[in-house]
Amino acid sequence: MNDKETELISRCQQGDQDALKEIFNQYHKKVYRIAYGVVRHREDALDVVQEVFIKLFRSIKNFKGKSAFYTYLYRLAMNTAIDHSRRGKKGTFFSLDEEGGFQPSDSPDKRPDQIVARKEVEEKVRWAIDQLPQDQKETLIYREIEELSYEEIAEATGCSVGTVMSRLHYGRKKLQVLLKDMVNPVRNSSGI
Amino acid sequence: MKNSCSSVSPLIERYFDRQATDEERALVERHLPVCTTCSEKLMALEGLKNALKAPVDEALQEETFPWVWEKIEKNIRMERKPSWWNLLRSWLDLSYLLRKRVWIPAVATAIVLALIISPFLFQKTPSYLEASVVEYVESDTHNVMVYDLETGQVTVIWLFEEPEEETFSS
Repeated sequence: MNDKETELISRCQQGDQDALKEIFNQYHKKVYRIAYGVVRHREDALDVVQEVFIKLFRSIKNFKGKSAFYTYLYRLAMNTAIDHSRRGKKGTFFSLDEEGGFQPSDSPDKRPDQIVARKEVEEKVRWAIDQLPQDQKETLIYREIEELSYEEIAEATGCSVGTVMSRLHYGRKKLQVLLKDMVNPVRNSSGI
Repeated sequence: MKNSCSSVSPLIERYFDRQATDEERALVERHLPVCTTCSEKLMALEGLKNALKAPVDEALQEETFPWVWEKIEKNIRMERKPSWWNLLRSWLDLSYLLRKRVWIPAVATAIVLALIISPFLFQKTPSYLEASVVEYVESDTHNVMVYDLETGQVTVIWLFEEPEEETFSS
Protein backbone atom coordinates (compact mmCIF):
# COMPACT_ATOMS: atom_id res chain seq x y z
CA MET A 1 0.00 0.00 0.00
CA ASN A 2 1.57 3.30 -1.06
CA ASP A 3 1.38 6.60 0.82
CA LYS A 4 -1.29 8.05 -1.43
CA GLU A 5 -3.54 5.05 -0.93
CA THR A 6 -2.95 5.10 2.83
CA GLU A 7 -3.96 8.76 2.90
CA LEU A 8 -7.04 8.09 0.76
CA ILE A 9 -8.14 5.28 3.05
CA SER A 10 -7.54 7.41 6.13
CA ARG A 11 -9.64 10.25 4.66
CA CYS A 12 -12.36 7.80 3.71
CA GLN A 13 -12.34 6.40 7.26
CA GLN A 14 -13.08 9.93 8.48
CA GLY A 15 -16.13 10.10 6.21
CA ASP A 16 -14.62 12.03 3.29
CA GLN A 17 -16.77 11.28 0.22
CA ASP A 18 -14.22 12.75 -2.19
CA ALA A 19 -11.74 10.15 -0.99
CA LEU A 20 -14.32 7.43 -1.66
CA LYS A 21 -14.79 8.84 -5.15
CA GLU A 22 -11.07 8.54 -5.81
CA ILE A 23 -11.10 4.95 -4.57
CA PHE A 24 -14.14 4.32 -6.80
CA ASN A 25 -12.35 5.76 -9.84
CA GLN A 26 -9.34 3.59 -9.13
CA TYR A 27 -11.13 0.29 -8.47
CA HIS A 28 -14.61 0.26 -9.99
CA LYS A 29 -13.54 -1.66 -13.09
CA LYS A 30 -11.84 -4.37 -11.05
CA VAL A 31 -14.90 -4.67 -8.81
CA TYR A 32 -17.08 -4.87 -11.93
CA ARG A 33 -14.96 -7.71 -13.33
CA ILE A 34 -15.39 -9.74 -10.15
CA ALA A 35 -19.10 -8.91 -9.98
CA TYR A 36 -19.70 -9.78 -13.63
CA GLY A 37 -17.62 -12.94 -13.23
CA VAL A 38 -20.09 -14.15 -10.61
CA VAL A 39 -23.47 -12.79 -11.70
CA ARG A 40 -22.93 -12.84 -15.48
CA HIS A 41 -25.43 -10.07 -16.06
CA ARG A 42 -24.74 -6.44 -16.75
CA GLU A 43 -27.37 -4.79 -14.57
CA ASP A 44 -26.75 -7.15 -11.68
CA ALA A 45 -23.02 -6.43 -11.94
CA LEU A 46 -23.69 -2.69 -11.83
CA ASP A 47 -25.92 -3.18 -8.78
CA VAL A 48 -23.11 -5.11 -7.11
CA VAL A 49 -20.56 -2.36 -7.87
CA GLN A 50 -22.88 0.19 -6.30
CA GLU A 51 -23.51 -1.98 -3.25
CA VAL A 52 -19.80 -2.72 -2.77
CA PHE A 53 -18.78 0.94 -2.58
CA ILE A 54 -21.63 1.81 -0.24
CA LYS A 55 -20.63 -1.10 2.00
CA LEU A 56 -17.00 -0.03 1.75
CA PHE A 57 -17.85 3.47 2.97
CA ARG A 58 -19.76 2.00 5.92
CA SER A 59 -17.16 -0.59 6.84
CA ILE A 60 -13.83 1.00 5.97
CA LYS A 61 -13.36 1.99 9.62
CA ASN A 62 -12.80 -1.72 10.27
CA PHE A 63 -9.91 -1.87 7.80
CA LYS A 64 -6.76 -1.92 9.93
CA GLY A 65 -4.23 -2.18 7.12
CA LYS A 66 -3.03 -5.66 8.11
CA SER A 67 -3.66 -6.92 4.57
CA ALA A 68 -3.46 -5.13 1.23
CA PHE A 69 -6.42 -2.83 0.62
CA TYR A 70 -7.28 -4.42 -2.72
CA THR A 71 -7.65 -7.86 -1.11
CA TYR A 72 -10.04 -6.29 1.43
CA LEU A 73 -12.02 -4.70 -1.40
CA TYR A 74 -11.97 -7.85 -3.56
CA ARG A 75 -13.26 -9.91 -0.66
CA LEU A 76 -16.07 -7.41 -0.16
CA ALA A 77 -16.84 -7.50 -3.89
CA MET A 78 -16.78 -11.30 -4.05
CA ASN A 79 -19.04 -11.74 -1.01
CA THR A 80 -21.49 -9.11 -2.26
CA ALA A 81 -21.60 -10.66 -5.73
CA ILE A 82 -22.14 -14.17 -4.37
CA ASP A 83 -24.91 -12.91 -2.04
CA HIS A 84 -26.49 -11.09 -4.98
CA SER A 85 -26.29 -14.21 -7.11
CA ARG A 86 -27.91 -16.27 -4.35
CA ARG A 87 -30.76 -13.82 -4.05
CA GLY A 88 -31.33 -14.59 -7.75
CA LYS A 89 -32.02 -11.05 -8.91
CA LYS A 90 -32.89 -10.74 -12.59
CA GLY A 91 -30.87 -13.69 -13.79
CA THR A 92 -32.74 -14.98 -16.82
CA PHE A 93 -31.37 -13.79 -20.07
CA PHE A 94 -33.46 -15.48 -22.66
CA SER A 95 -36.09 -12.81 -23.13
CA LEU A 96 -34.77 -10.42 -25.73
CA ASP A 97 -37.80 -8.16 -25.38
CA GLU A 98 -37.31 -7.68 -21.68
CA GLU A 99 -33.56 -7.55 -21.49
CA GLY A 100 -32.33 -6.79 -24.97
CA GLY A 101 -32.35 -3.05 -24.67
CA PHE A 102 -30.24 -2.98 -21.52
CA GLN A 103 -27.38 -5.23 -22.44
CA PRO A 104 -24.14 -3.59 -23.49
CA SER A 105 -23.75 -6.21 -26.16
CA ASP A 106 -26.96 -5.09 -27.77
CA SER A 107 -25.28 -2.47 -29.84
CA PRO A 108 -26.78 -1.88 -33.28
CA ASP A 109 -23.96 -3.74 -35.00
CA LYS A 110 -24.98 -7.02 -33.33
CA ARG A 111 -27.70 -9.19 -34.75
CA PRO A 112 -30.49 -10.47 -32.47
CA ASP A 113 -29.35 -14.08 -32.95
CA GLN A 114 -25.85 -13.10 -31.78
CA ILE A 115 -27.32 -11.39 -28.74
CA VAL A 116 -29.40 -14.44 -27.87
CA ALA A 117 -26.43 -16.75 -28.41
CA ARG A 118 -24.27 -14.68 -26.10
CA LYS A 119 -26.93 -14.61 -23.43
CA GLU A 120 -27.32 -18.36 -23.64
CA VAL A 121 -23.58 -18.82 -23.22
CA GLU A 122 -23.54 -16.46 -20.24
CA GLU A 123 -26.45 -18.29 -18.65
CA LYS A 124 -24.72 -21.63 -19.07
CA VAL A 125 -21.44 -20.32 -17.61
CA ARG A 126 -23.30 -18.85 -14.65
CA TRP A 127 -25.16 -22.12 -14.11
CA ALA A 128 -21.86 -24.04 -14.19
CA ILE A 129 -20.13 -21.63 -11.79
CA ASP A 130 -23.09 -21.90 -9.42
CA GLN A 131 -22.52 -25.67 -9.24
CA LEU A 132 -19.12 -25.14 -7.61
CA PRO A 133 -18.58 -24.88 -3.87
CA GLN A 134 -18.06 -21.26 -2.83
CA ASP A 135 -14.33 -21.61 -2.13
CA GLN A 136 -13.64 -23.08 -5.59
CA LYS A 137 -15.86 -20.47 -7.23
CA GLU A 138 -13.99 -17.60 -5.54
CA THR A 139 -10.58 -19.05 -6.32
CA LEU A 140 -11.41 -19.61 -9.99
CA ILE A 141 -12.78 -16.12 -10.48
CA TYR A 142 -9.78 -14.52 -8.77
CA ARG A 143 -7.45 -16.54 -10.98
CA GLU A 144 -9.18 -16.76 -14.34
CA ILE A 145 -10.81 -13.34 -14.45
CA GLU A 146 -8.78 -11.09 -12.18
CA GLU A 147 -5.56 -13.07 -12.78
CA LEU A 148 -4.33 -12.81 -9.21
CA SER A 149 -1.27 -14.84 -8.30
CA TYR A 150 -1.57 -17.87 -6.02
CA GLU A 151 -0.15 -15.79 -3.14
CA GLU A 152 -2.65 -12.96 -3.72
CA ILE A 153 -5.55 -15.42 -3.86
CA ALA A 154 -4.29 -17.02 -0.66
CA GLU A 155 -4.30 -13.60 1.03
CA ALA A 156 -7.75 -12.68 -0.29
CA THR A 157 -9.31 -15.97 0.75
CA GLY A 158 -7.31 -16.50 3.94
CA CYS A 159 -5.87 -19.90 3.07
CA SER A 160 -2.53 -21.41 2.04
CA VAL A 161 -1.08 -21.45 -1.48
CA GLY A 162 -1.42 -25.25 -1.50
CA THR A 163 -5.14 -24.92 -0.80
CA VAL A 164 -5.45 -22.38 -3.61
CA MET A 165 -3.83 -24.80 -6.06
CA SER A 166 -6.04 -27.63 -4.93
CA ARG A 167 -9.22 -25.54 -5.22
CA LEU A 168 -8.19 -24.38 -8.68
CA HIS A 169 -7.50 -27.92 -9.82
CA TYR A 170 -10.81 -29.38 -8.63
CA GLY A 171 -12.83 -26.33 -9.70
CA ARG A 172 -11.37 -26.45 -13.21
CA LYS A 173 -11.95 -30.19 -13.49
CA LYS A 174 -15.59 -29.79 -12.58
CA LEU A 175 -16.14 -26.83 -14.92
CA GLN A 176 -14.44 -28.62 -17.79
CA VAL A 177 -17.02 -31.37 -17.45
CA LEU A 178 -19.97 -28.99 -17.06
CA LEU A 179 -18.88 -26.78 -19.95
CA LYS A 180 -17.30 -29.40 -22.19
CA ASP A 181 -19.11 -28.10 -25.30
CA MET A 182 -17.62 -24.65 -24.81
CA VAL A 183 -14.23 -25.58 -23.43
CA ASN A 184 -13.27 -28.11 -26.04
CA PRO A 185 -15.31 -27.29 -29.19
CA VAL A 186 -12.86 -28.79 -31.66
CA ARG A 187 -12.88 -32.15 -29.95
CA ASN A 188 -16.62 -32.10 -29.54
CA SER A 189 -17.42 -31.18 -33.13
CA SER A 190 -15.17 -33.96 -34.41
CA GLY A 191 -17.26 -36.41 -32.41
CA ILE A 192 -14.43 -37.76 -30.25
CA MET B 1 13.78 -33.73 -13.80
CA LYS B 2 12.42 -36.36 -16.20
CA ASN B 3 10.74 -35.22 -19.39
CA SER B 4 7.81 -37.62 -19.09
CA CYS B 5 4.03 -37.20 -18.81
CA SER B 6 3.97 -38.39 -15.21
CA SER B 7 6.45 -35.69 -14.14
CA VAL B 8 5.24 -32.89 -16.46
CA SER B 9 1.47 -33.34 -16.16
CA PRO B 10 1.27 -32.04 -12.56
CA LEU B 11 3.16 -28.94 -13.67
CA ILE B 12 0.79 -28.03 -16.52
CA GLU B 13 -1.58 -25.98 -14.36
CA ARG B 14 1.24 -24.06 -12.69
CA TYR B 15 2.79 -23.47 -16.09
CA PHE B 16 -0.54 -22.25 -17.44
CA ASP B 17 -1.01 -19.94 -14.44
CA ARG B 18 2.54 -18.57 -14.90
CA GLN B 19 3.43 -19.72 -11.42
CA ALA B 20 6.04 -22.31 -12.45
CA THR B 21 9.73 -21.83 -11.79
CA ASP B 22 12.12 -21.27 -14.72
CA GLU B 23 13.25 -24.88 -14.54
CA GLU B 24 9.66 -26.20 -14.51
CA ARG B 25 8.72 -23.94 -17.41
CA ALA B 26 11.63 -25.14 -19.51
CA LEU B 27 10.70 -28.76 -18.79
CA VAL B 28 7.07 -28.24 -19.83
CA GLU B 29 8.05 -26.39 -22.99
CA ARG B 30 10.36 -29.23 -23.99
CA HIS B 31 7.64 -31.79 -23.33
CA LEU B 32 4.60 -30.18 -24.99
CA PRO B 33 5.67 -30.53 -28.66
CA VAL B 34 6.07 -34.28 -28.22
CA CYS B 35 3.00 -35.04 -26.05
CA THR B 36 -0.56 -34.74 -27.38
CA THR B 37 -2.16 -35.51 -23.99
CA CYS B 38 -0.39 -32.68 -22.17
CA SER B 39 -0.95 -30.31 -25.11
CA GLU B 40 -4.67 -31.04 -25.01
CA LYS B 41 -4.67 -30.56 -21.26
CA LEU B 42 -3.16 -27.13 -21.78
CA MET B 43 -5.66 -26.31 -24.53
CA ALA B 44 -8.54 -27.32 -22.27
CA LEU B 45 -7.25 -24.93 -19.59
CA GLU B 46 -7.07 -22.15 -22.18
CA GLY B 47 -10.57 -22.97 -23.42
CA LEU B 48 -11.99 -22.77 -19.91
CA LYS B 49 -10.23 -19.52 -19.16
CA ASN B 50 -11.55 -18.07 -22.40
CA ALA B 51 -15.10 -19.18 -21.63
CA LEU B 52 -14.95 -17.49 -18.23
CA LYS B 53 -12.93 -14.39 -19.02
CA ALA B 54 -13.75 -13.29 -22.58
CA PRO B 55 -17.39 -12.28 -21.87
CA VAL B 56 -16.22 -10.30 -18.82
CA ASP B 57 -13.59 -8.45 -20.86
CA GLU B 58 -16.15 -7.74 -23.56
CA ALA B 59 -18.76 -6.49 -21.09
CA LEU B 60 -16.22 -4.25 -19.38
CA GLN B 61 -15.07 -2.81 -22.68
CA GLU B 62 -18.63 -1.81 -23.56
CA GLU B 63 -19.60 -0.64 -20.07
CA THR B 64 -20.09 3.06 -19.44
CA PHE B 65 -21.08 2.81 -15.74
CA PRO B 66 -24.08 5.08 -16.15
CA TRP B 67 -24.83 7.08 -13.00
CA VAL B 68 -23.16 4.51 -10.76
CA TRP B 69 -21.13 7.02 -8.74
CA GLU B 70 -24.12 9.39 -8.54
CA LYS B 71 -26.27 6.59 -7.13
CA ILE B 72 -23.61 5.70 -4.56
CA GLU B 73 -23.29 9.34 -3.54
CA LYS B 74 -27.05 9.75 -3.24
CA ASN B 75 -27.34 6.62 -1.15
CA ILE B 76 -24.64 7.78 1.25
CA ARG B 77 -26.24 11.22 1.52
CA MET B 78 -29.60 9.63 2.32
CA GLU B 79 -27.99 7.50 5.02
CA ARG B 80 -26.36 10.53 6.58
CA LYS B 81 -29.55 12.61 6.60
CA PRO B 82 -31.32 11.85 9.89
CA SER B 83 -34.95 10.78 9.63
CA TRP B 84 -37.68 12.68 11.51
CA TRP B 85 -37.80 9.81 14.00
CA ASN B 86 -34.09 10.10 14.72
CA LEU B 87 -34.43 13.86 15.05
CA LEU B 88 -37.24 13.36 17.56
CA ARG B 89 -35.19 10.82 19.46
CA SER B 90 -32.24 13.17 19.61
CA TRP B 91 -34.49 15.85 21.04
CA LEU B 92 -35.82 13.46 23.64
CA ASP B 93 -32.49 11.94 24.38
CA LEU B 94 -31.65 12.46 28.05
CA SER B 95 -28.37 10.63 27.97
CA TYR B 96 -26.45 13.88 27.56
CA LEU B 97 -28.03 15.30 30.67
CA LEU B 98 -27.46 12.09 32.59
CA ARG B 99 -23.83 12.02 31.51
CA LYS B 100 -23.34 15.60 32.70
CA ARG B 101 -24.94 14.90 36.13
CA VAL B 102 -27.19 17.92 35.74
CA TRP B 103 -30.05 15.76 36.98
CA ILE B 104 -28.95 16.04 40.64
CA PRO B 105 -29.66 19.78 41.06
CA ALA B 106 -32.60 19.45 38.65
CA VAL B 107 -34.29 16.80 40.81
CA ALA B 108 -33.51 18.77 44.01
CA THR B 109 -35.10 21.91 42.55
CA ALA B 110 -38.18 19.93 41.47
CA ILE B 111 -38.62 18.51 45.01
CA VAL B 112 -38.34 21.96 46.63
CA LEU B 113 -40.87 23.41 44.19
CA ALA B 114 -43.24 20.52 44.84
CA LEU B 115 -43.04 21.08 48.60
CA ILE B 116 -43.79 24.79 48.21
CA ILE B 117 -46.69 24.30 45.82
CA SER B 118 -48.35 21.22 47.35
CA PRO B 119 -50.22 22.98 50.25
CA PHE B 120 -51.92 25.21 47.71
CA LEU B 121 -52.69 22.36 45.39
CA PHE B 122 -54.20 20.05 48.00
CA GLN B 123 -56.01 22.64 50.18
CA LYS B 124 -59.67 21.71 50.89
CA THR B 125 -62.31 24.17 49.80
CA PRO B 126 -65.68 22.88 51.10
CA SER B 127 -68.53 24.07 48.94
CA TYR B 128 -71.17 23.65 51.62
CA LEU B 129 -71.45 23.06 55.32
CA GLU B 130 -71.80 19.43 56.07
CA ALA B 131 -74.28 18.58 58.80
CA SER B 132 -75.57 15.47 60.43
CA VAL B 133 -78.92 14.75 61.95
CA VAL B 134 -78.63 14.30 65.66
CA GLU B 135 -82.28 13.78 66.47
CA TYR B 136 -85.58 13.44 64.64
CA VAL B 137 -88.83 13.72 66.47
CA GLU B 138 -92.18 13.04 64.86
CA SER B 139 -95.60 13.99 66.16
CA ASP B 140 -99.10 14.11 64.65
CA THR B 141 -98.87 17.75 63.73
CA HIS B 142 -95.16 18.67 63.64
CA ASN B 143 -91.76 17.17 62.97
CA VAL B 144 -88.55 18.34 64.62
CA MET B 145 -85.06 17.77 63.28
CA VAL B 146 -81.96 18.72 65.27
CA TYR B 147 -78.74 19.18 63.22
CA ASP B 148 -75.22 19.59 64.42
CA LEU B 149 -73.01 21.45 61.97
CA GLU B 150 -69.65 19.90 61.25
CA THR B 151 -67.77 22.31 63.41
CA GLY B 152 -69.90 21.31 66.41
CA GLN B 153 -70.29 24.92 67.40
CA VAL B 154 -73.79 25.48 65.98
CA THR B 155 -76.92 23.38 66.50
CA VAL B 156 -79.90 23.88 64.23
CA ILE B 157 -83.37 22.88 65.31
CA TRP B 158 -85.83 22.62 62.43
CA LEU B 159 -89.52 22.53 63.25
CA PHE B 160 -91.89 21.89 60.38
CA GLU B 161 -95.42 20.77 59.77
CA GLU B 162 -96.14 17.45 58.15
CA PRO B 163 -97.66 17.95 54.73
CA GLU B 164 -101.37 17.31 54.60
CA GLU B 165 -101.25 14.85 51.78
CA GLU B 166 -98.69 12.76 53.59
CA THR B 167 -100.88 12.82 56.66
CA PHE B 168 -103.69 12.01 54.47
CA SER B 169 -101.94 9.16 52.79
CA SER B 170 -100.67 7.63 55.99
